[in-house]
Amino acid sequence: MIEFKNVSKRYDTGTMAVKNASFRIEKGEFAFLVGTSGSGKSTLIKLILKEEEPTSGNIIINGKDTTFLKQNRVPFLRRSMGIVFQDFRLLPDKTVYENVAFAMYIVKATPRHIRRQVPMVLSLVGLSGKAKMYPNELSGGEQQRVALARALVNNPAMIIADEPTGNLDPETAWDIMSLLNEINMRGTTVVVATHAKEIVDQMKKRVIHIDKGVIVKDDKKGGYDCEI
Amino acid sequence: MRFNVISYLIGEGLSNIFKNKKSTISSLMIMCATMLVFGLFFVIGENVNAFVDNVADAQEIRVFIVNTATDEQVEQVGNEILSINGVRNVEYVSKDDAYDSMREWLGEEAVAGYEENNIFPASYNVTLTDLELNEEVQEQIWQIENVEDIRSSNQTIAQVIRLAKGVRIVTAAILVLLVVISIAIISNTIKLTVHARRKEISIMKYVGATNSFIRWPFLVEGIIIGIISGLISVAIIGLAYTYIANKMSGSDFMEMISWNLLEFKSMFNLILTVYLGLGIGIGIVGSSISMKKYLEV
Repeated sequence: MIEFKNVSKRYDTGTMAVKNASFRIEKGEFAFLVGTSGSGKSTLIKLILKEEEPTSGNIIINGKDTTFLKQNRVPFLRRSMGIVFQDFRLLPDKTVYENVAFAMYIVKATPRHIRRQVPMVLSLVGLSGKAKMYPNELSGGEQQRVALARALVNNPAMIIADEPTGNLDPETAWDIMSLLNEINMRGTTVVVATHAKEIVDQMKKRVIHIDKGVIVKDDKKGGYDCEI
Repeated sequence: MRFNVISYLIGEGLSNIFKNKKSTISSLMIMCATMLVFGLFFVIGENVNAFVDNVADAQEIRVFIVNTATDEQVEQVGNEILSINGVRNVEYVSKDDAYDSMREWLGEEAVAGYEENNIFPASYNVTLTDLELNEEVQEQIWQIENVEDIRSSNQTIAQVIRLAKGVRIVTAAILVLLVVISIAIISNTIKLTVHARRKEISIMKYVGATNSFIRWPFLVEGIIIGIISGLISVAIIGLAYTYIANKMSGSDFMEMISWNLLEFKSMFNLILTVYLGLGIGIGIVGSSISMKKYLEV
């Protein structure tokens, strides 16, 4: 599903953000990407989203090498993944329903499909009753659920989450994580960049540990800081 | 594209306009102002053109034929004049016609005795397709045999033509200036909207929106501002022009040049087309310029 082959990324500033990273995340897998801030995990996410280009190496997503993907094909690559951010990135002047439907407008879904699909994902994330509310009327956890619903609404093959619990209190963080787990159970590949140590330790999922741009550990059922 | 997508994109464009009332209104006002300045020169230009055409119709070259010419030679002169490039029509005035008109003009006594011995020459009244060819045509007529004399008031014609040309150049220059200024203004207005919505744009990019999908609402915004400015301008120009034309009709000046201003009706279609074309074109170019930077995520 996602494969990095000897990928390095050097920014124009000279910072070597990722050094010769190779890993492979299979279809249906749940993987954590952990590391301190500045370790390079955000860069890894950006490379997956093709927001940044690798300096060397190849990135293969859904069996396709995206290294030489033309810029005008990038939107279609991104439609195969649902993306969740630490700061939710909801549109403040649109209701919960509209925020989710928005993602479907973009892929030119039919109105019928939108009317059917949006309530379905909203009930999946437990927000059926709040469809008409605006983001500022919701708690952080609820906002992140909206973001998750938006990521899920087009049935992507994978969910990429960059610090999805970074702005949430521990209890809410757990809600979001178990929701991600549930989504994973339904067959969607989930990649979560995080430094929520406790959660990672308890969930016993695959952990890819990155430090100073180098993948130092790739543990199939690991914790946050197992000895290297 | 499906209908709901189109209506979504247009709806977004419309809501942009209402969200940024201040910048929309200021760009509307400036676009109207420039369009009005252009419109002012445009209506003046149209009137000068119409005046030139009017003068052209009244202005003829009179070609007098030598008295000794035979009927065949006279006909020959007529045919040769007609074959000159730039001549629209020739009208034959026979010696008898000349005598009649002289008698009418000067009175019975003045022409008495000339009826038998007609000294008034036959002539051709030549009308031109293009006034600017006046001098060339005259030169060529001089080459024709049996031509006695040519009369034409080419002095006035040349001046009027020069004036018409000047107005056309100024109108064109103003048009170019208008386009440049308006593109700058509208792209700035849309830059504000784009900037206000950069977060939304980046979200759209992450969800997989294509650049053209993101661009459309802003294009719609630019186009709508352009169209509205065009409509407002055409209304203002129309009302002001009709008012002034009414005031001027019957004034001494208009009597003097024996001519009336064009009715606005006759220019309406052209000016509306030009305004809308400009508005839409400027809207598209302006919004495209302002979008460029924000599409690179």
